[in-house]
Amino acid sequence: STSSVLSTDKDKSAASKDSTTEGASKRQEGGAETPKQQLLDIIGNMKVEVSYRKKLQQLKANENTKQAMNELEGLDREGSVPQGTTEDTQRGKPLNPELVKAASAVASSLPHNKKETESELLAQLRRHEETTDKQKKGGAINIRNVILEMTVKRQSPAQRGARISGGISLQLDEDGRRIRPERSSAQSVDSRSLKVRKRLNIFTKASTEPEHTLKTVSPPTIWDLEFAKEVAAVTAQPPRNGFEEMIQWTKEGILWEFPVDNEVGMEDDAEFHEHIFLEKHLEAFPKEGPIRHFMELVICGLSKNPYLSVKQKVEHIEWFQKYFEEKKELLQEI
Amino acid sequence: LCATGKYHQFNLFNQVLPSPCPRQVRSYYVDWRMLRDVKRRKMAYEHADERLRINAIRKNSILPKELQEVADKEIAALPRDSCPVRIRNRCVLTSRPRGVKRRWRLSRIVFRHFADHAQMSGVQRAMW
Repeated sequence: STSSVLSTDKDKSAASKDSTTEGASKRQEGGAETPKQQLLDIIGNMKVEVSYRKKLQQLKANENTKQAMNELEGLDREGSVPQGTTEDTQRGKPLNPELVKAASAVASSLPHNKKETESELLAQLRRHEETTDKQKKGGAINIRNVILEMTVKRQSPAQRGARISGGISLQLDEDGRRIRPERSSAQSVDSRSLKVRKRLNIFTKASTEPEHTLKTVSPPTIWDLEFAKEVAAVTAQPPRNGFEEMIQWTKEGILWEFPVDNEVGMEDDAEFHEHIFLEKHLEAFPKEGPIRHFMELVICGLSKNPYLSVKQKVEHIEWFQKYFEEKKELLQEI
Repeated sequence: LCATGKYHQFNLFNQVLPSPCPRQVRSYYVDWRMLRDVKRRKMAYEHADERLRINAIRKNSILPKELQEVADKEIAALPRDSCPVRIRNRCVLTSRPRGVKRRWRLSRIVFRHFADHAQMSGVQRAMW
């Protein structure tokens, strides 16, 4: 039955925070009864459920009187059972006296060395208490602030959800300063201010100075070129299979790129009307006569030519223009 | 089929570095005739536009004849190697002027040699 007793003891420590004033009063009464009866009474008292508000209040009280509790813990380690626990200190230390009492009762019920078991149980309880207090202390603050903020400011539901979910875990490290319930600060559009914030170091500053310093370096010397060529020659392994060979050929330019692009190397940005309507280039020519006739034929031929670019066509017409200007004297004689 | 003689290559300004190539590399023209043919081709390319335009003036029924005569004289004054008529489609490997198939630019003997060694893609001995 020792194991069962120990398990119940752990349950007691877990449920120790659910104590109420009733427990205090009953505890004082139970001091006069037998140890077993004490045990049963304590268990019965501890199983009483408490509302959330009372729990929060107790936690708040815990923060305030943490030091006092530590002092009491020191006293309790001696093994003495504090029977005269006053009502005033009961709220501040709901854990210790009850737990100590329970521990003593359990130890007395056990056949082995009572003092030893009692001390061990108390140590366990202390550890448990410390861990739970740490967690609950942090949780209490954030939850409180979150609730207050929610009532004061208008926030996006995403932010609220994030805060609540993050409220349980400590968010004091991530933001430079935790969002406090500032009822007067309605200036910031979002609850997160755009001003002071710890740098996340995501973006690297585009510093222009190093670039300038690099550009002032002289162009690559012959030795650098030779070295680069050597490296390229060494790293260029012979192709392992036909595919790699074809890739190499494509890079060199021996093989076309598939699917075949008919306009490779041909970058004609001109529109179709520039190819066809070439009469505007004929302004320098006389408007009548055989030359004009001839040039119109030339233009007709050029407009049907898909192989020349607009530039080449214009050059063609300009050549004729130059030629006929040189021959002007001859033409006058005719 | 290796080169019979080594004749100096036409002056190319671009430096060609020796690349690690497993195939046979020809860095010289097979003979002088091939070299002259190469020169003619280059010249014909340079003067092609001029020749075309002057010929357009000459072969004309609209422009006056005097103009056409002048154009005749002008085209005759161009360098002789600039006319495309002087180009001969020689074999690329042996410089043989006759018996050259245009599609492969090879003489019939070379073509047969490669086809029998299965080095001509898509070429098979005819049998029907």
